[in-house]
Amino acid sequence: MAIQAWRIKDRYYRLIGSRCQECRTEFFPPVYTCRHCGSEIIKDQEMPKEGKIMTYTRLHEPLPGFEAQAPFYLAVVMLDNGARVLTQVVDSPDESVKTGARVRATVRRAKVDGDSGQIIYGYKFIVMAIYNL
Amino acid sequence: MHLMKSSKPSAILGYGAYIPLYRIPTSEIARIWKGGGSGPNTEKTVASMDEDTVTMAIEAARYAMKMSGTTNLGAVFVGTESKPYAVKPTSTMVAQALGQHYTLAADLEFACKAGTEAIQVITGLVGSGMIEAGLAIGMDTAQGRPGDDLEYGAASGGAAFVIGRKGKDAIAVIESSTSFVSDTGDFWRRAHEKYPRHLSRFTGEPAYFHHIESSVQTLLGETGHKPSDFTYAVFHQPNPRFPVEVATRLGFTMDQVRTGLLNPMIGNTYAGSSPIGLAAVLDEAKPGDKILLASFGSGAGSDAFCIEVLDGIKKTRGVNPTVKSMIQRGSKIDYSTYSKFRDKLHK
Amino acid sequence: MPKSKVYITSVGFTKIDDHWEKSLLDLAVEAARGAMKGTPKVRPQQIFVGNMFSAVGAGQEHLGALLASALGLVGVPALKVESASSSGGSAFNVAYSLVKSGALDSALVVGVEKMRDLETEEVSQAVAMAESAEYTQFVGASFAALNGLLARYYMEQLDVSRDELSSIPVIDHANAVNAEHAQFRRAITPDAVSRSSMVADPLRLFDCAPIGDGAAAVLLVSDRAASGAKKKMAEVLGGRIATNEFSVYQREDMLDFNATREAFKGAMAQAGLSTRRLGFAEVHDAFSVVGALSLEAMGFSKRGRGSKDAKEGKYNMGSEFPINTFGGLKARGNPIGATGVYQIAEAFLQLTGQAGKNQVEDADYGITHNVGGVDTTSVVHVFGRAT
Repeated sequence: MAIQAWRIKDRYYRLIGSRCQECRTEFFPPVYTCRHCGSEIIKDQEMPKEGKIMTYTRLHEPLPGFEAQAPFYLAVVMLDNGARVLTQVVDSPDESVKTGARVRATVRRAKVDGDSGQIIYGYKFIVMAIYNL
Repeated sequence: MHLMKSSKPSAILGYGAYIPLYRIPTSEIARIWKGGGSGPNTEKTVASMDEDTVTMAIEAARYAMKMSGTTNLGAVFVGTESKPYAVKPTSTMVAQALGQHYTLAADLEFACKAGTEAIQVITGLVGSGMIEAGLAIGMDTAQGRPGDDLEYGAASGGAAFVIGRKGKDAIAVIESSTSFVSDTGDFWRRAHEKYPRHLSRFTGEPAYFHHIESSVQTLLGETGHKPSDFTYAVFHQPNPRFPVEVATRLGFTMDQVRTGLLNPMIGNTYAGSSPIGLAAVLDEAKPGDKILLASFGSGAGSDAFCIEVLDGIKKTRGVNPTVKSMIQRGSKIDYSTYSKFRDKLHK
Repeated sequence: MPKSKVYITSVGFTKIDDHWEKSLLDLAVEAARGAMKGTPKVRPQQIFVGNMFSAVGAGQEHLGALLASALGLVGVPALKVESASSSGGSAFNVAYSLVKSGALDSALVVGVEKMRDLETEEVSQAVAMAESAEYTQFVGASFAALNGLLARYYMEQLDVSRDELSSIPVIDHANAVNAEHAQFRRAITPDAVSRSSMVADPLRLFDCAPIGDGAAAVLLVSDRAASGAKKKMAEVLGGRIATNEFSVYQREDMLDFNATREAFKGAMAQAGLSTRRLGFAEVHDAFSVVGALSLEAMGFSKRGRGSKDAKEGKYNMGSEFPINTFGGLKARGNPIGATGVYQIAEAFLQLTGQAGKNQVEDADYGITHNVGGVDTTSVVHVFGRAT
């Protein structure tokens, strides 16, 4: 996992996705082929860091490695450029996590390989009203 | 002559603090370990379980870069004593997150003065003309042994400063600085230990007071400044009392100390402590204000700076959340949640 | 070569359960022998094994050759087919296509999954491999979490209530009471569903198909190789696989199960049938919400009405169009790679009058619908009585 994550660290740290050079639609995660017009002329593009929650769930039975955080919120966030990100929503009171809430990206510890393995950092989102940022 | 002055003026171009959301009242810690009472500070800040020095440094750095508008950093130095890796620099992860590669990057350790040390180093690199701008960060997720008195204060947080050549948008110029060190083991952590140890009363006079008094008196003596020349004085704050005491001894007043004194609300953020104090002062300071900044790091040493605020400070208002607003948006947790977040449970 | 008719002549399957005493291969052999015993004169010309995560669940790959040897069919070509939870249906589709084209005269399809040798969270991790490792698994989203997001979206956008969502699991459990091979054979109430423990809000335990071990097998023959009474066979009239945009949340309309729609239309077109001729459907309801959305995509219910119609009795046993006649994924069970073949075996039982207490009367045609991911790979087959 360490090398797999290293390869895409800019995507994890900076939300670098794709922009179709023909129809200018932007995507995250990155794409090989434009989902909108089918073009293969795709370039890296840093995503805006703010958006709103399209839908969400609260996961009580987590995947291995995420037990300490359970239960936690996962949401589909529509960023301000229309791209959609699947992400955790952290450190936000229950009543603030709802469809339509404005959220922004931050970098957090995503996965840790035990006590001696590497720490993988990645994007998570927080509700903006709480942070008033 | 011990004063350090860069050949070309170096200035703060942008700054940002990061204080995590969670708080634990010291009365809650005392409830568990002493059956009542509280610590010297009211509350301390607690990083969430998925936060660490790297993630918090990235947040603060992004705020600082947003304010300064810098695109190229020639150096990224992170001063901390809670590096997630003993070997693998925090600074390269911060640099990567900022998209910076042609940069000198390293982590510094000098207990609570590692952050101001980063400021010293970047000031020198900029002042010598070696780089145009660099990032100095002091950040910690400090930990105290459960039940030890240090646990009341050991907190999470810090601040980042973009330092570069003094131009018309510069926020504050770093006029000069001093540093004073000695081999004084008041507080330490051996290589594979999880928690630090300290000598209690010894951390006062021979450590904190001796080193800060030495660095500040040298600074004042060699610059010719008097305490009354300064609008603000920010000292390292291991508890609410020491910074007030050292200020008084050096001839500073409570009015000068008040704005930068945050320990009562947030505890001791170690390498983040005086940097956050500086950020809180910059949130309010006006052009022409002089700031005295004096850190203390166990082991031991003190950095002292004379910083003068410039016109550029006016454009910084509202760009980032203030230190005050970050302190205010706190969410209280209990001791068991705190233990889980900060990995103090033995599994 | 001219196209051939294709018949299923016999099936075999294990009960779905926590088979502590049986390995993956034990289960596969049991099901395979059951199918082969029913058509003793035919030696399958190729074997297809549908399975998703034998590598993780049993430390085993190369299942085709493994099973061929175990069955004494050394030399017979054998392959594993994988498409997450549609592995079974997909393996069958490949076999069907080869027999139909005349390339093969017979084929054995075995779906098998051994889940219980893993701890529950390890099963969750294995199943999560149906979704993006780098962007879905990475954020801690289990497969249930993705379906939970979808369920909330479905309920909020199309005004579906918690009580309505519970309807399909209730139908499943009612039908499994008399199904000997089903994993859970007790009826449940809608209340029991909405009070069961929370998995991925709003999905609760009883909204979700269970973990279990099992294997199912079917034997296919071309009309050239078919012998014996046709009324003991079912004919495969059509089959289609379709894929969707890989991650459900990236789709223009998350609530439009386009892969299922295309697979259904394609299979029905091959069969030359209209929907009203269908007598039953085995629907892939890994979660209550996807059962509902699948019914909508196939046009059995209007948009937003899948669960509501189920609540009103439209899909009960005894209705005009019963679904999941032996319990569906929720009650019959869902050993991931085997499910698609269980569905096909159940369709065979219906069309050959062998469904016992679960017999749908007067059903000339039926479909099976098997999905990998969240409508990511959808496989629909149409079956009819052999004539």
